[in-house]
Amino acid sequence: MDERAFSAAQGFLLAAKMYWTTTLYRALRDEFLAKSSVDQKEQSVEDVAAILEDSPLYQYFAWLERHLQRMKYAGRYGLVPYHDERRGELLAALTGDAELDRDLELPGYYTGVDIHQHPGGLWSDATAALVYERGARSTTPMLGEAHKDLHDRFTDVVAAAGPPRRILDMGGGFGKSTGPLAERFPDSSVESVDLSAPCVTLGAHLAKQRQLDNVRYRQMDARSTDYSDASFDLVTSTMVLHELPTKALEELFDEALRVLEPGGRMVHLDFYSIPDGFRRFIHYGHARRNNEPFMQPLASTDLAALLKKKGFVDIEITPFKESEEIDIEKNDAWRFPWTVVTATKPEVSS
Amino acid sequence: MTTQRSGRPEQQLFEDPAVDRLMGVLMALATEHYVLRDRVRALEGQLAKTGTLDVSALDAEPTAAELAAAQADRDAFAEALLKPLLGEQQAKGATGPFSLKKK
Ligand SMILES: C[S@@+](CC[C@H](N)C(=O)[O-])C[C@H]1O[C@@H](n2cnc3c(N)ncnc32)[C@H](O)[C@@H]1O
Repeated sequence: MDERAFSAAQGFLLAAKMYWTTTLYRALRDEFLAKSSVDQKEQSVEDVAAILEDSPLYQYFAWLERHLQRMKYAGRYGLVPYHDERRGELLAALTGDAELDRDLELPGYYTGVDIHQHPGGLWSDATAALVYERGARSTTPMLGEAHKDLHDRFTDVVAAAGPPRRILDMGGGFGKSTGPLAERFPDSSVESVDLSAPCVTLGAHLAKQRQLDNVRYRQMDARSTDYSDASFDLVTSTMVLHELPTKALEELFDEALRVLEPGGRMVHLDFYSIPDGFRRFIHYGHARRNNEPFMQPLASTDLAALLKKKGFVDIEITPFKESEEIDIEKNDAWRFPWTVVTATKPEVSS
Repeated sequence: MTTQRSGRPEQQLFEDPAVDRLMGVLMALATEHYVLRDRVRALEGQLAKTGTLDVSALDAEPTAAELAAAQADRDAFAEALLKPLLGEQQAKGATGPFSLKKK
């Protein structure tokens, strides 16, 4: 496929997604409001489902959500075939010194589903991280190229508490989260661990290109790292918690607690605080349609209680503005329920 | 051309799963249509710039050689258009109907 055809097809799919994000989403919400009698905040997911699931508009909305994503990845002009055709030159261009662990056993939750409808997931093909990087540029169409903005804004949240010295970014992927941290805190040392060999390889490549020498990319399970106890004053993750089933999530929190020094902080960005039944219905449906089996479990877990049980203190769960322009209260287009989850390891463990 | 099959049934989002598959055909076609529009516009723009666009030559019936040269492209188009009829997931995930209604 030539570059022009790829660009035109992906551009068309993105324009369709944009229409879905704004016009179709608003029409669906209006239909729901017109059909529901009580205040929408009072409605459970089941109530919303009873109102909407038989609606043709909802069915087209659901179909487009699933299949625009399928076509983006796996269609004739999909990201996967595009990168596959160019794999030789693309892979040869990757430099950098990622630390790979060829014996790492990938968990069943990770290999059992092709996350985001990305055929083969993020781990099984050497081009997977390039596919993911390209795809992530248009994950949230409202943000467009400013998607980068989101990680910078997350870094602002982290920076508000003062500059960290040793940072562990769990599930750092190809570095969209890790990169801005390493750039913002040049005197810190940053460790980015991820299960995906293609992702850490791309992360190390991009770090080298940007001449970042305070960051390492290592292929590792964030739930069982090789760092000694109390090695970090900050543990972060962005868009990772919702990829883990509840048991694995608990293991990740346990590991964060172990590697944090007393008084150390943990800051996660994920999809969590959902203000009403309609948006919860939309979010759970998105999870199902986008191959994100642990999104619904995360959003229905009592995170504050879980973190408290794990021994964290100063637990804060705060809605997050993913871009400067967004007004969380007034926004009426589709958006993720972005949320920052912060917790601290007690100074003296009880 | 051999169509690769995953064997995993696609999620059902309409009451009639035939509509799910038909929509797949339609959207593949719409994408292809847009790719073509984009290319034609680019082509005409370039030709107009150099003053070489000859409308009557554009409208003429293609030769046998031209038709043969486009064979692989037609096959790939046909596959992309019709593959959704198989109703299989391209990326493995949950399958079957989905409801959040009270049981
Ligand atoms: C949606 S991506 C987010 C990547 C990155 N933080 C970002 O914001 O772009 C989720 C990442 O979590 C990784 N992941 C999932 N489970 C993991 C685990 N147990 N240990 C380390 N990484 C994990 C995946 O490989 C993937 O790169």
